[in-house]
Amino acid sequence: MTEEKSLQGWTPELGGEVTLERIIDLAFDYRGNTTIVKTDGSEIVGYIFNRNREAPEPFIQVIDEEGNGPYTLVYADIATIKFTGRDTAAGKSWQAWVDRKQREKDGLAREAAGHGADSTSDTGPGSVD
Amino acid sequence: MGVPVSQAWAVTSYVLKQKLARRQKYPLVLMLEPLFRCNLACSGCGKIQYPSQIIKKNMPLEKALEAVDECGAPMVSIAGGEPLMYPHIHELVEGLEKRGKYIYLCTNAILLKDTLQKGAFTPSKYLSFSVHMDGLREAHDESVCRDGVYDQAVEGIKEAVARGFRVTTNTTLFDNAAPLQVREFFDEMMDLDIEGMMISPGYSYAKAPNKEHFLRKERTNNLFSDILSNKKKEWKFNQSPLFLQFLMGKHDYECTPWGNPLYNMFGWQRPCYLLQEGYAETFKELIEETAWENYGRSSGNEKCADCLVHCGYEATAVNETFGSVRGIWNTALTTVTGKL
Repeated sequence: MTEEKSLQGWTPELGGEVTLERIIDLAFDYRGNTTIVKTDGSEIVGYIFNRNREAPEPFIQVIDEEGNGPYTLVYADIATIKFTGRDTAAGKSWQAWVDRKQREKDGLAREAAGHGADSTSDTGPGSVD
Repeated sequence: MGVPVSQAWAVTSYVLKQKLARRQKYPLVLMLEPLFRCNLACSGCGKIQYPSQIIKKNMPLEKALEAVDECGAPMVSIAGGEPLMYPHIHELVEGLEKRGKYIYLCTNAILLKDTLQKGAFTPSKYLSFSVHMDGLREAHDESVCRDGVYDQAVEGIKEAVARGFRVTTNTTLFDNAAPLQVREFFDEMMDLDIEGMMISPGYSYAKAPNKEHFLRKERTNNLFSDILSNKKKEWKFNQSPLFLQFLMGKHDYECTPWGNPLYNMFGWQRPCYLLQEGYAETFKELIEETAWENYGRSSGNEKCADCLVHCGYEATAVNETFGSVRGIWNTALTTVTGKL
């Protein structure tokens, strides 16, 4: 089973490969709220639902955590973006569901075989936790 | 054929009008997502994973109807989220019927029986409940990540059929699909007296957390060949026979990403129903300012390499039907003989 990585909690620091454009792309793909730090020091917390890097003045669009917006921010006004909100896509893979179902089936099979709760071996797919 | 004559005629006349007007990029089905809330959390679905302020939102009814008018497609697929949880769903359906649009209300049918028993909706030639069914009981419940949903959906279908509604099913097939079981599933669905079935392979779009289990092109062709070869006469499909043949590998089509444009509370999604690379404010902007040459298999875009999904290729198949003598002949032949 592959481990799912999440950007939740990441406060990126600009430099090297971590460019503002890269951070914005990652934030656009992120399924949670982020905190957008503007160049004037002010912050907006919300969900980035749109970004257009091909526009004459590249921009993002945000719906804030109260559901207000959309607010449009041009790249030039953004200092960085922090991944502060819960990643709503994390840990919800189909594989996790299959593993859980398999654990249930294995448990029923063990009970039927008379081992029940006495069993100490757990070699099924569910043992990855 | 599972499509009623009136609907087939509406689509035919619409496509012919577009061709006479020499319109290169025209929509066939508007995918309308008036909300993202759902009473299921299927792992194959990247549509419902948003922060709570987004999940709570409902598209204003006027915005939904404006989008329908702006787009002009003859068919509207109301998706989501679960459309039966949308507070304006009745007004939306009425508004669409008044406009002469053919509606596919895509539902998991958990709420369908109760909704119909409360007297909501009136049967009409325009409205079809398109019930999400991914296979027989065990396969479907596994696909939607909850036990018991298959039985609820069957109850909903029976209630809708008994009340005289048009009912279709929509099925996404994953790489763990077993052809014989799928054929058995088709028998079971047709036994429910539905109008027709719609099938499509899954697709590994970037935001879907179930990437490993979506299908690759070759496997897709083999799977659909195994399922649809020796198609039973009783099986009716509510979609283009040329698209089904395409899934079996009998035709090589290019994607028509603007064929099923998606409108949701963020705007018009670029470039298609599956890829989410940004939003346009208007349909005109979507059509005129999207770099379409960057999408489809011939573009070399790796995100499009293995995609054979209906939202990109069914419009191509319909266009093929009306675009050549061969297309008309193939469609007529499969419709008359029932063979793919």
